[in-house]
Amino acid sequence: MKPLLEVLRGRRVICCVGSGGVGKTTTAAAIALREAMDGKRTLVLTIDPARRLANSLGLHEMGNEETRIDPAMFANAGLTPRGEMWAMMLDLKHTWDELVRRQARTPQQAEAILANKLYQTLSTAMAGSLEYMAMEKVYEVHSSRRFDVVVLDTPPTSNALDFLHAASRILDVLDNNAMKLVLGPMMKAGKFGLKLLAAPSGLVLRTLARFTGSDFLRDLTGFMMAFEGMYEGFKDRATRVKALLTSRDAAFVLVTSPQPLTIQEALFFHKALADDGIQTAAVIVNRVQRDPRRHGGPDNLPALREALQLAQIKDAGAPPLSDRLCQTLTDQAALADLDRREVERLRTTLHGVPLFSVPRLRKDVHDLAGLWQIDGYLGENGGD
Amino acid sequence: MSESALLSRRLVVVTGKGGTGKSTVSAALALAAARRGKKVLVCEVVARERVADFFGKPPSGTRIRELLPNLYSVHVRPREAMREYALMTIKFETLYKIAFENPAARYFLAAAPSLAEIVMLGKVWWHAAHDTERGRLRWDLVILDAPATGHGLTFLTVPEVFLRLVNEGPLARDMHGMQSLLADPKQCSVCVVTLPEEMPANEAIELDAALRQHGFPPGPLFLNAYFASRFTPQELAQVTRGGPLLLAAGEAADNHESRAALSAHYEGVLRNAVQRPILPVPFFFERSFGAQAIDKVAHAIESAL
Ligand SMILES: Nc1ncnc2c1ncn2[C@@H]1O[C@H](COP(=O)(O)OP(=O)(O)OP(=O)(O)O)[C@@H](O)[C@H]1O
Ligand SMILES: Nc1ncnc2c1ncn2[C@@H]1O[C@H](COP(=O)(O)OP(=O)(O)OP(=O)(O)O)[C@@H](O)[C@H]1O
Ligand SMILES: [Mg+2]
Ligand SMILES: [Mg+2]
Repeated sequence: MKPLLEVLRGRRVICCVGSGGVGKTTTAAAIALREAMDGKRTLVLTIDPARRLANSLGLHEMGNEETRIDPAMFANAGLTPRGEMWAMMLDLKHTWDELVRRQARTPQQAEAILANKLYQTLSTAMAGSLEYMAMEKVYEVHSSRRFDVVVLDTPPTSNALDFLHAASRILDVLDNNAMKLVLGPMMKAGKFGLKLLAAPSGLVLRTLARFTGSDFLRDLTGFMMAFEGMYEGFKDRATRVKALLTSRDAAFVLVTSPQPLTIQEALFFHKALADDGIQTAAVIVNRVQRDPRRHGGPDNLPALREALQLAQIKDAGAPPLSDRLCQTLTDQAALADLDRREVERLRTTLHGVPLFSVPRLRKDVHDLAGLWQIDGYLGENGGD
Repeated sequence: MSESALLSRRLVVVTGKGGTGKSTVSAALALAAARRGKKVLVCEVVARERVADFFGKPPSGTRIRELLPNLYSVHVRPREAMREYALMTIKFETLYKIAFENPAARYFLAAAPSLAEIVMLGKVWWHAAHDTERGRLRWDLVILDAPATGHGLTFLTVPEVFLRLVNEGPLARDMHGMQSLLADPKQCSVCVVTLPEEMPANEAIELDAALRQHGFPPGPLFLNAYFASRFTPQELAQVTRGGPLLLAAGEAADNHESRAALSAHYEGVLRNAVQRPILPVPFFFERSFGAQAIDKVAHAIESAL
């Protein structure tokens, strides 16, 4: 089997996707590290990394700051990279504001939007906003050509569609003809008046207003007016982002845990990507329980008792040590069996997609040494 | 807080980081309450419902279904909740259709993201406080399996945020009702579920602070998938150095103890940082996580008090 590095050779944007908590951030950082060791100038764009990992990489604040991982840190971990590793924590609000500033026709228009109460809530609260901005940022960094490889960590999206269609769903909200039709009179008048509600065409508005109060409708109108004329620019850019992600320059790495529900979601993700014409470049099953029985040796009670005796270890305690050992072996063997079954199911279903299995390490992964340990399982053996 | 106190609330909210065991704990609490003769409704406000499956039943969908005697569940989804709620407010079906079943309104639902949350919370609130049968409340206890942390907090604070923006209309009046139920320690408890791992633990600490800051009555913190230590350090040292015959047993014991050490560590961290009772729920080695496992979790919760 080809090592992951080979599988990803030539790709300039690598997206690590998958359900919440499976190890996307860890994997993204491990891939960026591997590429840096291989001589590339790499950036990992992380989203909400574990604090200890962020600290150990020297990432202290958000605000879209590109931070170079200190070469001294590599030396500490006993690593000598031939390239450079950089990291950045995505700042949602900041990225939105940057985008608005870039796309606005005039600074005044940008300011009007940034000051709108609804924009402030919508931009950060709308479902898919983080996904959209992550893609937007990756596009920007990629286009700047400052890095050979950009590895994108993604937010814990439970639904793959949310991820791929985040941009168009949000842009739909920014420019919706049906709503413009309803709000049209208000937008022309530039303000929200009771007279408008009384007009016959105001039935829909009247009902909606009854439901939410009229303040909301006023904010909404203001928001839509502020966005007038910007929609095309946004849409254009979103189209280009999507073109990049579906091109040969980009690769999607699907990360999953071996839990049945997560595997199910991973399969769903894979299908959703395929529906968008995107091939999953590789699958990483992370935190797989290793089977202690691979060492062989006694695993039943009488045999364990005998082994303890041979090793001159007192079989004491309550319950006796042999009992507890037997129970622990049984527990972990059961978990390992479950995991193995799931990994095989995934391998069969995703027939042909390179699959790497990374064991559950004894400790959290919170520094370069830990990431490097993960990289050890992304080689030609696929972790087996 | 004792469990019986927790189960005698009207509304128990369960939130926490994604995948930590919110649905598991919701189901187990429901089972414990149902066993005590309470009539319980679990409201799942998430993308995919989970609770019915734990009990080997088909998904309940948006209609309330009985899973076990006294134990019911329902999947709360924005579109249906919107319809139910709007109909209650607007009263006339045709008017509802004109106003809500048109492209503009669909847009409106998307543009006002909190609207989806409002109507879903509204439905839960209605079951907890207004859903009557022959003059009596239909449910002794409503358990809300709430969205994960960030979204969960957004969800619970939606009345507060809404009332800052809008203070008129029928919706605002209901928001006041929801807010006072969610703030009343006699009627409501908000529980947090977490795991003995770095990110979930940190998130639980932040969530605990945020929930208290918003004045939600604190229920217990469930520290789920807890590994209790099984071996003394001496035993572990002996076994891991016990020669080739004990290689497998030694690795298993070492693995177990490393997870137990993490459990103890994060329990300590949480006890220091969180101002609510902490209730460890053991990790159960189950071949399939179903009714039997939920029963074990329910017993663990009951005996931890
Ligand atoms: N193979 C592994 N063995 C042990 N711990 C691991 C392993 N992979 C990841 N972890 C740990 O699991 C935790 C979650 O990993 P990570 O933050 O990468 O997940 P994520 O998918 O990015 O989560 P989220 O969806 O919340 O962003 C981290 O604390 C990390 O250190
Ligand atoms: N105490 C436990 N011991 C062993 N496994 C557990 C335990 N609690 C939960 N699990 C496992 O974790 C899985 C996820 O739990 P659950 O669905 O309750 O999480 P959740 O927080 O509701 O997730 P989501 O955020 O996706 O809704 C369960 O299906 C089960 O396999
Ligand atoms: Mg992450
Ligand atoms: Mg759940």
